[in-house]
Amino acid sequence: MSKINREQILKLARLSKIELTDEEVEKYQTELSEILDYVELLDSVDVSGLKPTYQVSGKTNAVRADEVIRLQASPDELKNILPDSQGRYIKVGRMI
Amino acid sequence: MSDIKKYLVDGYIPTIGIECHVQLKTNTKLFAPVSNDAKGAEPNTLVSHICFGLPGALPVLNKEALKLSAKAAFALGTSPQKFSKFDRKHYFYPDLPKGYQISQFDEPIIIGGQIKVQNDDGTTKTINITRAHIEEDAGKSTHPANEAYSLVDLNRAGTPLLEIVSEPEMHNAKEAKAFAKELWLRMKYSGVSDVDLYHGNMRFDVNVSVSKNPEKMGIRSETKNLNSFKSVEKAVDYEINRQIKLLEKGDTVVQETRGWLDDKQKTVSQRSKEDAHDYRYFPDPDIPPILLTDEYIKDIEDNLPIMPSEWRSKLSHVGLDNQTIEILLESNVEFESDFLEMLINNKSNAKQFANWIVNIEVPLLRETIDEKKTIEINNNSRQKIYKSVDELYRANKLSSNNAKNLLTKLLRSEELPNNITDYAEKQGYIQISDTSDIEKAVEKVMADNPKAVEDIKKGELKVIGFLVGQVMKASKGKANPAMTQEIIRKKIK
Repeated sequence: MSKINREQILKLARLSKIELTDEEVEKYQTELSEILDYVELLDSVDVSGLKPTYQVSGKTNAVRADEVIRLQASPDELKNILPDSQGRYIKVGRMI
Repeated sequence: MSDIKKYLVDGYIPTIGIECHVQLKTNTKLFAPVSNDAKGAEPNTLVSHICFGLPGALPVLNKEALKLSAKAAFALGTSPQKFSKFDRKHYFYPDLPKGYQISQFDEPIIIGGQIKVQNDDGTTKTINITRAHIEEDAGKSTHPANEAYSLVDLNRAGTPLLEIVSEPEMHNAKEAKAFAKELWLRMKYSGVSDVDLYHGNMRFDVNVSVSKNPEKMGIRSETKNLNSFKSVEKAVDYEINRQIKLLEKGDTVVQETRGWLDDKQKTVSQRSKEDAHDYRYFPDPDIPPILLTDEYIKDIEDNLPIMPSEWRSKLSHVGLDNQTIEILLESNVEFESDFLEMLINNKSNAKQFANWIVNIEVPLLRETIDEKKTIEINNNSRQKIYKSVDELYRANKLSSNNAKNLLTKLLRSEELPNNITDYAEKQGYIQISDTSDIEKAVEKVMADNPKAVEDIKKGELKVIGFLVGQVMKASKGKANPAMTQEIIRKKIK
């Protein structure tokens, strides 16, 4: 049943910058495999001759004018919700 | 690659492909109605809930960014795709708060195209464009020395970019540089970008590989974020030599991302992650697909500004040579000027005007930038200055030196004199072409230099030049040198 192996879960976690315990790896392996099994139901539908659907809204060309708009949340308010900052900078863990 | 031999370096054929990020000239970001003008702005002042990637934020595509990208298609020698869409490209990094970059994966706005570049030897070469897609820029991070943290500024996050990808069809550093420069010219002349290299409006990534087999390319390295034509050229050369040395030693080239150190003039490996290219793209449900109508595309094509290739042919029609034309095209961008229009409008003086632009005005503009006092010359004043000086020069009223001096003086002056001829006269630029005045001066100089006169009589005609010089000196440069020489010859005969 396990469509997704341990390595795939670990790779996904690495790409998502998430740390997983051994129990969690096992848990997600089961859960994600079940989800994939469910989605596989779609394979039973004949879609030959259909164009791919990128969007279910049916909308196209949702664009806005190239103008500055005063938004509800000001840069200062946004700064106040930061977990950590220094001056006007966002402070994060060392990147390099 | 029929002419492959001319590219061989120690038996290896280098191959280069270029990716270029062009910042689109919009007022606001790609998906947020926030100003794009990050030059000199305090960190994190040009941000919104969209730039921060807060839950529930809805990015909406900037109409102008779409239009400029469609325009870029024509600048790249093709037309935009009628259908294109946006995808999420996932990676986790602090300068990308959403955890994904909105980009275009398999249905980009531009597919194909080509660019003709001029080689140094006057030949041209066509380089094909693979594709170009619209995407948002990431934020900017700094890493203070000896600290356990990094600092992020999201002003740049969401800036609209067009990423242009070339086919790997260049085979030496000069071609790579020529391609980068031509791209730069086209993005500027089409109005797609401000192309300010200093502020990172265009950034080049070069993919370089070498191989002994013309049928099979070697393993490539990618040197990222080059921001000048010179660094493109140098980085390509450096990589070609580095890779050949490795292979000659029996080592292999590692497929990796490298950075260019300008101070050390070398590339260095940047950490390469095995999974770096696993971006898990999928269509972005927030951004509906784009459908361009034929009318929309035609309207853009019809309103395309004059492109570099058209300028080249116009300027060559008024009699300018290729080298001058290239300098003019570049200077025109560098100084945001309008030289070219003036040259086209003054066909009979175009050569003289071009000569003065290249040798007087451009160096003057460069000099005043160094002095930190930019001079602004509008097209009307420029035309008036050039025309008046040229008229005086043609009428023999200005020596070629004084024509240059007068031109410089006028270009530098904040207010133009009403009557340039009167002004030139009062300021002493006009040369004396009145025979009797020059004769008097010649007689005096001959009397003061009897030995020189003797020498000329003995046949040492070179010495005439010396006497002309003396007359020029006595007249403070105002005597017409040709007339002076003629009078001296007559008198000595």
